[in-house]
Parts: sequence; structure tokens; C-alpha cells
Amino acid sequence: MTPSVAAVLGLVAMALISLLAGLFARRYSRTTSDFMVAARAVPPRINAAAISGEYLSAASFLGVAGLVMQFGYDVLWYPVGYAAGYLLLLLFVAGPLRRFGAYTIPDFAEGRFDSPRFRRLAVILVLVIGFFYALPQMKAAGLTVETASGLPYWVGVVVVAVVVVTAVTGGGMRGITLVQSLQFAAKIFAISLPAFLLLLHFGGPATPFAAARGQLVRLPVSTTYRVSRGELWQLARTTSLNVEGEAPVLWSRDDPVRAPGAVTAEVGDTPAPSSPLRGSKHLLLFGRQRIPAGTLVWGGNATVLVPKGQPAPFGSATPASSTSSWSAPFGPLAGGSGHPLLFTYSLILAIVLGTIGLPHILVRFYTNPDARAARRTALLVLVLLGAFYIWPPVFGALGRALDPSLYGNNLTDAVVLVLPSLLGGWLGQLLLAVVAAGAFAAFTSTLSGLLVSLAGALGHDVYGRWLRPTASAHRRRVAFQVAAVGAGGVAAALGLMVSQFDISVLVGWAFAIAASSFFPLLVLGIWWPRLTTRAAALGVALGGGTATLSIVTTMVATLSPQVEDFLARSSGLAVILAQPAIVTVPLAFATMVLGSLLRPGPPSGVAAKLVQLHAPELLGLRSDYIPE
Amino acid sequence: MASTTPPSSSGLREFSEQTEVGGIFLQALMRRQLRLSLGVAAVFFAFLGAQPLLSTVWKPWTRWEVLGVPVTWVVLGVLSYPLLVWLGRHYVRRAEEVDEEFTDLLG
Repeated sequence: MTPSVAAVLGLVAMALISLLAGLFARRYSRTTSDFMVAARAVPPRINAAAISGEYLSAASFLGVAGLVMQFGYDVLWYPVGYAAGYLLLLLFVAGPLRRFGAYTIPDFAEGRFDSPRFRRLAVILVLVIGFFYALPQMKAAGLTVETASGLPYWVGVVVVAVVVVTAVTGGGMRGITLVQSLQFAAKIFAISLPAFLLLLHFGGPATPFAAARGQLVRLPVSTTYRVSRGELWQLARTTSLNVEGEAPVLWSRDDPVRAPGAVTAEVGDTPAPSSPLRGSKHLLLFGRQRIPAGTLVWGGNATVLVPKGQPAPFGSATPASSTSSWSAPFGPLAGGSGHPLLFTYSLILAIVLGTIGLPHILVRFYTNPDARAARRTALLVLVLLGAFYIWPPVFGALGRALDPSLYGNNLTDAVVLVLPSLLGGWLGQLLLAVVAAGAFAAFTSTLSGLLVSLAGALGHDVYGRWLRPTASAHRRRVAFQVAAVGAGGVAAALGLMVSQFDISVLVGWAFAIAASSFFPLLVLGIWWPRLTTRAAALGVALGGGTATLSIVTTMVATLSPQVEDFLARSSGLAVILAQPAIVTVPLAFATMVLGSLLRPGPPSGVAAKLVQLHAPELLGLRSDYIPE
Repeated sequence: MASTTPPSSSGLREFSEQTEVGGIFLQALMRRQLRLSLGVAAVFFAFLGAQPLLSTVWKPWTRWEVLGVPVTWVVLGVLSYPLLVWLGRHYVRRAEEVDEEFTDLLG
């Protein structure tokens, strides 16, 4: 947990590479088409790397590992769902959407239904989803810089905002495509190599599960833990440790600490009546101690050194999750809700279907030359994502076995960033630099994609199509750049306020909103000729609106005890508000289908639109909605 | 809907000018592509959806292990990815075949 020079160097190196690549690409981006869709000329291999680079956000690089460490098995639905979303994108959207040949999703909404008003509704949702998705990236930026260098949280947020805004205003889509494909390479290297070496060093993938059953894992290097009040350690054997200063301990078992020099004393507050620690002994530890096997609960903040060769203290988020429930299905995440099966299915739906509705991911398909390339790109993305997503859970599981102070300090999101130091020496330092650089690549590449999407919505959809349809190409490009600066600033400001939410949970919410709005719009808009404009718009507004409302309620509940109490009394409602997809996705679908059947009347020229979406390129009928 | 090249055959002309016959062609194409996509999606959703259900109704499988790692972890966290790639590859091949057959039919 101590700041590391190597990690700071890793961050600075990645920031410089990203900045330079962005500036380099600047020379090649001139036209609006360059800025919006990279002139529709990105070959599948580069595009797949860029898409994967953009898609593997901080939630994938840091958040999944952190959540696995906290909640275990149930979290595996996140990485699998993220990857599976791409399969659905390939199956239902990739080819036809590319054939349509627009710049943004609001373009599709307007073009498919011949309705400028639909564009405005779509723009609002692009902005909501985009900003929601940007928040966890900002949190990751703050957290990474804080962990690596000890600088305050806001420094990371500001630095990343500056790097990303520079790349996007300079090169637009064409510029970031180059940067993002480089960043993908950095990320897959940075996650797989350290995870592989850690596994090798600590006895393979069985170690975390063995440690959970009380088997011994020895520390390969002397390790300093910053413990905090309430932090729980399980010791497999008698362990020597060295307390710097003095540390209060709540000993949860009946037998007293038989450590020489330990003094029984009242320390701090007595645990709450409901606490499992009630009635436990309070001790003060200082200096070198030998602690017998068992469960140890720290009663205050202290620095504790566990020497090389000693048993690694094994931790858990709460006393309740210290049992085997962590490694079994329906553990603390899904099981805690009281409706584990409902919770799990809703989570799967939100993640898998949400991918199909993420505007910043969808627009990337417009950068392909044609539908054939779009399909092949999506397939390659599946390969790249699979190769990546095997690794983050490894970090999470090992973190549980090796570094309990992450639980105590509420820093499980940082497990990827700190675990390599356990390898010790120059290798540990080198790998710290590598993971720091990988994390930086993760949130900057996602943020640059988001910023293109947000700036596109504001500069192209709002300014160029809605406010000033007659503006010159030059003014549109300036509008795009101004919008990028503004959106970056707002995202950074919001990012300063979300440090207490889990990264993956925040991303899950963006997915739920996307799944409830753009997913049904695209799937029905592409495949169902009878969809009417009115029903589609109503479905998007209702699905997106209710999902946003549910999530905002849950966020308010996290911050306000009264609302949380109210929700706790009706757990079914709380589950649905926190994971609304299982209700809001069918709601949006039903609205679109029933609305279209009750008041039929698809928009005029729907046959032509369907030809445009589905006619194979080989027929030579090609025409892009925005031809340039 | 402006064509970049003038339609070269009668089938293609019917199709691009959205006559009734062209509409039937288009419907047939969309139906084949959609059936293919739905089939592939169903396979993956069955694979995903069966796991929580299995964990609910038949607990023993949550206790199985391979080399010290629970089988539940291996199936979901590792095997999902090759399955995804395999399904994706199958889909891309079939979808391209459908497109080509359709082009031959009109051409």
C-alpha cells in the first residue's frame, strides 16, 4: 500500500505515450468524417483492438478484481456478461447498423424513423449513459493515482481529463482509434503477465480456495499492512508480526492473546450490540508479537509488518463472508439481497443486453468499411475480450488470500494495483509499474471513446443537426472540439463526487439504462418492420426513464439513511431498484410492441430503410445515411 | 435510397425499388438471418441461464472441484470465453453464406 516510484513512472510513461500518439494522429484528422467515424476506413484488426481497448474500462481492469475479492463467485457474471454482450452485438446489430452508415445513434433514431424529434430524445439518453459510464472511469483515475503516488484523489481525475480531452479534440475518432489499439496491447500485457507470475509464485489457482479452508500460504516477502478499525484477519498458524507503535485489537475468540507484552485495555468504542465482536476482549499490541492461529480483529489504525516466511493473513469483507459462501454461488452479493436467483438473472440481463445499447461502443461499427468487416471486427473483439477477462478474477481471488488490509481500508478496487508488490524486489517494482500503466490505459481509452460519443452528441446531433443545420463543416468541427472540452470538464467534476461507489456497480448502472432504452430500439428497429415511431419513442423514454430513476433512488439511498431504511423493509423493491433491468427491459420492449400493434402505421419508406439495413454489400446497392 | 450503381438484373431491380416481389425477397433474407442469430443466442443464453438454476436446484455441483478450483468457477469464468468465440465464428460463417446465396439468387 505504500506509494511506489515505479508505479508513478508507469503512470507517467503511459500518459506520455497516450498524449504523443494523440498528437501524432492529429495531423491525419482533417474532415468531419475523420473526427466522427475515422473516415470509415479502419481495418478489422486495428478496429477490434481499438474497440477492445475502449471497452476494457477501469471496471474491467480494476473493478472486476475488486468485486471478486469482496463477493466471490457471483461477480464472475460481470466479465462473462461483458464479453457475451459482444456476441449479441455481433448477432443482431453489427452488420445492419454499419450498412445504415450514420455517425451516431441519434442519427440512426432519426434516419430509421424519419423523425427529428426522435433524435432529440436519443441525444438525451446518449448523454445520460455517457456521463454515467464516465463516472467510474474518473473514480478509477483518482484511485489509481492516489494508490500509486499518494497524491490526492482529485489529481488523477484532473490529469486524466486533460490527457483525454487533448487526444479527442486533436484527432477525434481517427486519432483515438490509433491510441486505443496501443492501449489495448498495454492492458492485456499488464493484466496477464502479473497475474500469471503471481499464480506461479503462490502455488497456482487453487491457492485462494485452499486459503479459504484455512490452509497455509506463506508470505514470500516481508509485507507491511496498514490495518484499520474493524479489519478482520484470519491466521492459519501462529504468526509473528511487528506492530509499529501500538495497535488496539479486538480478539473475537474467547481465549486471550498469549503474547508476551500484550496488555488488556479498553480501547476505543465498544462494538455495537448486534456486532459479532460483542463481549470480545480488547487488547493493546505493540512491538514484536506471536499471535496464535484464529481470527483477529483490529480495533484501530496501525502499521503492522509481517516478516517473510510467515503465514499470509487471510481476510474477508465482513465476518459473514469469511465462510465458504464467498466461493459458492449466491454468496454475499446475490444472496445478500434475499432473492438470489432474481438478482442474478437481472444482473445477467443488464450486462449482456446493456452492451448492445452503449452508444460509444455502437458508433465504432460505423468506422468499418462495410458490414462484412463489421462482423469480422466483432468476432475478433470476442477473441480479444476472452483472452483478457480470464485474468481479473485471478487478482481478486489471490487478493483475498494475501492482502486483508484492502478490505479494512475499503480499497479492494485497488487490488490489481498493489498485489504485484508481494513478489518483492525489482520484479515486484517492475510489475507495479506495468499494472499502473495498464490501469491508466484502461480508463483513458474508455474515457476517450465516451468523450467522442458525448462530443458527437453535443457537437453533431445538438449543434449540427438541431440548432444550426446550416453550419459549415469547419464550424461543426469546432463545435465538436468545444463540446469535447465541456463534456470532459463536467465528467471530471462529477467524478470528484463518486469516490464511495464501487467501480463495477457504477458501470452496471450505465449498462442497465442502455439495456432498457437503446437495446430494444436497435433490435426492433433493425428486425421488425411494423415498429411505429410513436411506440419506439415511448418505449425508449419509458425504459430509459424508469431505469435512470431506479438507479438514482438507489444512489440517494446510499447517501441517505432514511431512504435506505425504507428500502431495507421491502427487499424485493430494493433488489429491483438496484438491478432494474429485469423489469425495465421487458417494459420497454412491451411498450414498443404493444404500441405498434394497437396503433399500427410504420413510418413511410420503411421498406427502403430495411433494404439499406439488410441488403448484402455484394449487390452494390450501398448508400450511407451520411455519405461523406 | 440512391443506388451507387444501377441495378443490373431484374431481380435486383425489384429488390432495390421495393416492389412487392422485392419485399418478399427482403422478408426471406431477414427471416433467414434472424433465425440464425436467434439460434446462436439461444445456445449461449441456455448455457448462462442454466448455471444459476443448477446451483439452486442441485447443490452438489457447487462442491465439485478440478485441481482445487471449484467447477462452478471454471465453467463460468474460463469455459464461457472459448464457447463465445466458437459461437461467434459459426455465426459469421453462416451469415456470410446467407448473404452470398441471396446475392446469387438476385444476381
